[in-house]
Amino acid sequence: MAFIKTKGFLAVPLIIAVVMFADYFIAVKEVASLAGILRTWALVISSMALGLGVVNLVRVHGKNIYVRKPGMWIFSTVTLFTFTVVFLAGVLAKQSDLWNWPFQHVYTTLQQTMYAATGFYIVSSAYRAFRARNVDATLLLISGCVVALRNAPIGEAIWGGFSVLGDWFMDVGQLPGYRVFAMVTGFGIIAYSLRVILGSERGFYGGRRE
Amino acid sequence: MIREGRVFALLLFILAYCLIYVYVRMAKGGKVIKARALPPLMAIPEAVGRCAEMGRPLVYTVGIGGTISSGSGPDILAGITILGYTAREAAKRGVPLKFFTTTIDAAPLIEETLKSAYLAEGKSEEYKEDTIELIANQSSLVSRYLGWIQREMPASACMIGYLAYESVVLSEGGNTIGAMQISGTTNQYQTPFLVASTDYTFIMEELWAASAEISGDLYSVGALAGEDVLKFFILAIMGIGLLLGLFGASGFLINLLRL
Repeated sequence: MAFIKTKGFLAVPLIIAVVMFADYFIAVKEVASLAGILRTWALVISSMALGLGVVNLVRVHGKNIYVRKPGMWIFSTVTLFTFTVVFLAGVLAKQSDLWNWPFQHVYTTLQQTMYAATGFYIVSSAYRAFRARNVDATLLLISGCVVALRNAPIGEAIWGGFSVLGDWFMDVGQLPGYRVFAMVTGFGIIAYSLRVILGSERGFYGGRRE
Repeated sequence: MIREGRVFALLLFILAYCLIYVYVRMAKGGKVIKARALPPLMAIPEAVGRCAEMGRPLVYTVGIGGTISSGSGPDILAGITILGYTAREAAKRGVPLKFFTTTIDAAPLIEETLKSAYLAEGKSEEYKEDTIELIANQSSLVSRYLGWIQREMPASACMIGYLAYESVVLSEGGNTIGAMQISGTTNQYQTPFLVASTDYTFIMEELWAASAEISGDLYSVGALAGEDVLKFFILAIMGIGLLLGLFGASGFLINLLRL
């Protein structure tokens, strides 16, 4: 049992990784079949976890309401009420569009509202970044203004060259930088994955290799 | 037998493994491999110390996504590793820690990491169940996080993991309350926001390098060195491609890479 606790669980990701890597690179029927089974297992485990989550949700929030937990029970009531409505809409109204209504007209709308607020935060972040404190920041300010005027309709109205200059900043100025980021991240992920698969990286298991 | 278009990728993968193996062996054989000190990692004790001095909590998030996603998974796992280090520092100085995430599939890992950190400092009784808040989705995380920091006024905030649009919102929210902020993600579109809005940022794969530094073993440092050599190898291929391209003869190299 001690072996399973200390070493055994590290073998699981290793075995799965070997099968999945082999399936990605090599076209062998048996390996593809085994990889397919593992993918199905992942789906089944996720579905079971979802069911467990529902039980847990009802248990935790039901308890909050039952004991009238200060500051929590009202929210728990809203959570359970919402869960019940959406659940019943899904089960009973599959033939109509009603099952999709809460998602389309409540959830998506709220999500879009929060997302729209990002614009204001981007402005304050841009203000912080664009203060011309030194040469680098001044160059950033100038290029940022050009790209902003390239995207805004008013830029084209002021001077047609903003579009050309803005495109140059985007395609020649920033794209190589982004590609370097992407490539370096790719190398990093290879090394990190190997560390995880081989059991060296175990900080997130709550442990440390001594 | 090898799938079409994946021969070079397989060779690159084998090369990466061999390089890492060689450097790990060298490290174990006594060769000293020095890893560059990462300022954001060095700033974590300072951030925790600031909380201790001001008598305020520290807030931590690994952002959104899931550990089984190839895009967000490695970032989140690295964020959890750094969380363990941060939690130990917090436990050592008696700083209350609050953790927010939507990464529900990582909940057991996060809980175990925090419990282990408090246990390692001999303060397991100080770990509270409500330290971790699992939140349903991205926008809910944003509203809960912003609301919480406005009320509790944490002295420091760490946003280390996989961040999308919330990066700019959370970091600007942290700025409004004057929190010291440390951030990191490999989402390249969010990194500029984090650099602009936070005090220290793990830029791209520094996140994983930090994770290796924390684990602090020869294997991890050797793996980092091997990865660096791989970068030089790829840079050499790019340089050759550039030269061949200038002379209009890059077709051979392109076909080789597409094997």
